[in-house]
Amino acid sequence: MTQDIRKVVILGASGTIGSLAGGVLAQNGIQTWFLSRTLKGSQKGLAKAQKQARSEVIAANIICGDYDSMLREACEQADWILECVAEDIEIKQQLYEKVDQFRKPDSIVSSVTSSLLLEELPKGRSESFQRNFLSTHFYNPPGKMLACEICGQSQTDPAVMEYIADFCAKKLRRAVIPVKPTAGFAGNRIAFLLFARITELAVEHGVEMMDYLIGPYTGRLMAPLATLDLVGLDIHKAIIQSLQSHTHDAMHNKLLLPEYVETMIANGHLGNKTRTKGGFYKRLESGKFIYMDPASGEYIPAFQPHVQFVEKAKEQIHLGMYRQAYQTILDARGPEAAIVHEILATYIAYAYMLIGEVTDEKDGIEGIDRVMATGFNWAGPSLLVYMLGGRERAVELLRSQNLAVPPILENDTVCEKYTFNSGRFFPAR
Amino acid sequence: MTNPKTYILGGYQTDFARNWARENKHISALMREAYEASLITTKVEPNDIKAAFIGNFAAELYCMQGHLGAFFVDFDPAFKGLPTTRLEGACASSALATLSAMAHIQAGIYDCIALVGVELMKTASPAQGGDYLGTAAWYEKESAGVEFPFPKLFGKLGDVYDSRYGLDDKHLARISDINYANARLNPNAQTRDWFMSYDHACSNNQYNTAVSGRIKVTDCSQVTDGAVCLYLASESFAADYARRSGTTLRQIPVIQGWGHTTAPIEFSTKVNDSENADYVLPWTRKAVTDAYQRAGINDCWELDAVETHDCFTTSEYMAIDHFGLTDPGKSWQAIEEGVIEINGKLPMNPSGGLIGCGHPVGATGARQLLDAYKQVTDTAGDYQIQNARRVATLNIGGTATANVCLIVGL
Repeated sequence: MTQDIRKVVILGASGTIGSLAGGVLAQNGIQTWFLSRTLKGSQKGLAKAQKQARSEVIAANIICGDYDSMLREACEQADWILECVAEDIEIKQQLYEKVDQFRKPDSIVSSVTSSLLLEELPKGRSESFQRNFLSTHFYNPPGKMLACEICGQSQTDPAVMEYIADFCAKKLRRAVIPVKPTAGFAGNRIAFLLFARITELAVEHGVEMMDYLIGPYTGRLMAPLATLDLVGLDIHKAIIQSLQSHTHDAMHNKLLLPEYVETMIANGHLGNKTRTKGGFYKRLESGKFIYMDPASGEYIPAFQPHVQFVEKAKEQIHLGMYRQAYQTILDARGPEAAIVHEILATYIAYAYMLIGEVTDEKDGIEGIDRVMATGFNWAGPSLLVYMLGGRERAVELLRSQNLAVPPILENDTVCEKYTFNSGRFFPAR
Repeated sequence: MTNPKTYILGGYQTDFARNWARENKHISALMREAYEASLITTKVEPNDIKAAFIGNFAAELYCMQGHLGAFFVDFDPAFKGLPTTRLEGACASSALATLSAMAHIQAGIYDCIALVGVELMKTASPAQGGDYLGTAAWYEKESAGVEFPFPKLFGKLGDVYDSRYGLDDKHLARISDINYANARLNPNAQTRDWFMSYDHACSNNQYNTAVSGRIKVTDCSQVTDGAVCLYLASESFAADYARRSGTTLRQIPVIQGWGHTTAPIEFSTKVNDSENADYVLPWTRKAVTDAYQRAGINDCWELDAVETHDCFTTSEYMAIDHFGLTDPGKSWQAIEEGVIEINGKLPMNPSGGLIGCGHPVGATGARQLLDAYKQVTDTAGDYQIQNARRVATLNIGGTATANVCLIVGL
């Protein structure tokens, strides 16, 4: 295993995650090669990294190049090769074959993937490659989202895992979450199940209403369908399909991709990346938004929903009265309240249910709390339990939704801790 | 004259990286969060609190809200009828609130006072915010029609140093670099996850533009939303508090000394007055030496750290010689010799200061006081100065118009 990481190669440095993760390395004084298919692409990556750092001087730590002319030279010197290319196993494996020829025998190789089967990726590679291969799943954009899920495969040397976790935490200031090699790891597994359910509920209730009901006031900085516009609906589809194929649990039936979402993708309404076509939201020249109507496939004007309990909870949050706001949500009745209760309960039930499957059981809920907070800017599940008034109230909520109560929730003590600074997850919007 | 002592029982600082305006929170939510968390950190009970003093600069401008003391009464049923007072003195607002609270404790009027510093600033655009801040100077003469009056005025402070003693901007860059580096150790600092390096601070390009004169972006403190709530107490209250907390009175920090001066508000008057003086800002120097005298110390070398008012790198440059780390005009020596670094002989701003930790204007004095408390109680975490027993704070308002120096120790 490498003794110290001083030089890193980014493969796929023209893309968003490659350039920005590479930028984080360069910001921390690490000599970083930005490699992609073309020099021009890598240089574009450099500009993105500078914009993230808000500094030109990080260029002093970055060498841009293309695979053909620089892969060998870079891999021969690098202590860590971080692969950030497209989520396509063939593309990745073709690149790994070349890397394996050039790399130092003790260098670490990692992928940012969270959705491909980690066990498959290094197959056919040298014993040294496999021993030093793992996933380092940075969240996007890494300048703001500090989560980094770390996962090995069956051949990964535990010392490599330990070393890279320590390096990412101490040198790169990441919130490191050790996870198990299951599709979507912890963060995407939980979040995308909720996204899937919300896209399904939007068939009946509409896009605007769903983002209003499950808006930031429920414990997230961005409403869920707006988040999917940011992620890109094509990426959403790929993650849902991966979870459908590779995970099996009691909530599997919620992993749906409604027909209107498929149609949106087919028609190029992918979200922010197709700004003129829109996604769930479409921004008009006036700055106002119109919303995708799942029933007609057309964009419809905003109707600005107004639901009494939502408005009351937001006003309480506006004044910093967070737990009172949650009491308001819990006390509310009616179809809108039922939707909010279902989503909150599903989030809590699913997160507690997956302890031990996606994260180490010894970490309890805290590993999942950390990835949801630092990867998605969502209140962690245990914080929501605290906001609801404690585990007994949370258990009641789950039972009212006919959800199985995970035994760990019934004995959870994390939710009893006073959490400083928790208000940051609850904007009054 | 020997006054009764004022003790500090601890408190809480909000996370200065948060954007409360974007969270759509009322300024009272900011105060409430600091207050509620401070009860947890100190174990002070609402019934203990006999009065509240609020330091705030310009909520009327930023939030269209005055009368902030009244909001404190809503935070607990025990507070109905509680005497509350809001004090304003530009960036020194919460240091002035501290002095007022001390006076009430020393006069025997109240024995436990909540001290809140608060500012919510991200409601305003940069230009509008710059204009609001301009009211801390002589607005008609120094700010009206000037886009960013304070960078201009503190750039002039650098120019005065340059003309009297010579000033190399590389030393200002190093001040910025040190403050950002310290902020990375502070979990409540606004810039804790931002990139900074000495080379970046020296650079002058699209990401580090000149704001006014010699002041670049990296020379400036931050626009910050934040609040701090801490508790000041009389000796008898502190003794009771120590007993119920399982500690001793000697382990509770005391405000050992204070200095408070007000200079002429107009910057040009200040520097004209000091033309033949030993110090560029003699009234700032006097606040420091008054505090030394009241604390019974001879000079800065009896301090273990300083939390100073680095609203710009030039104001920290000024603080270095005004605290006496060097002879007047030779602050560069302390920078070059590493004296002010976190492991130096006399660290300045281990918290990151206003540049690194952030500068919610009306909360800064209270934040400095809380950081002094943390240092002397060995609770500053990763930015702890080893064996710190006495720490000074300097909070200035306007262009060093209001000057408050406090010395906190065990």
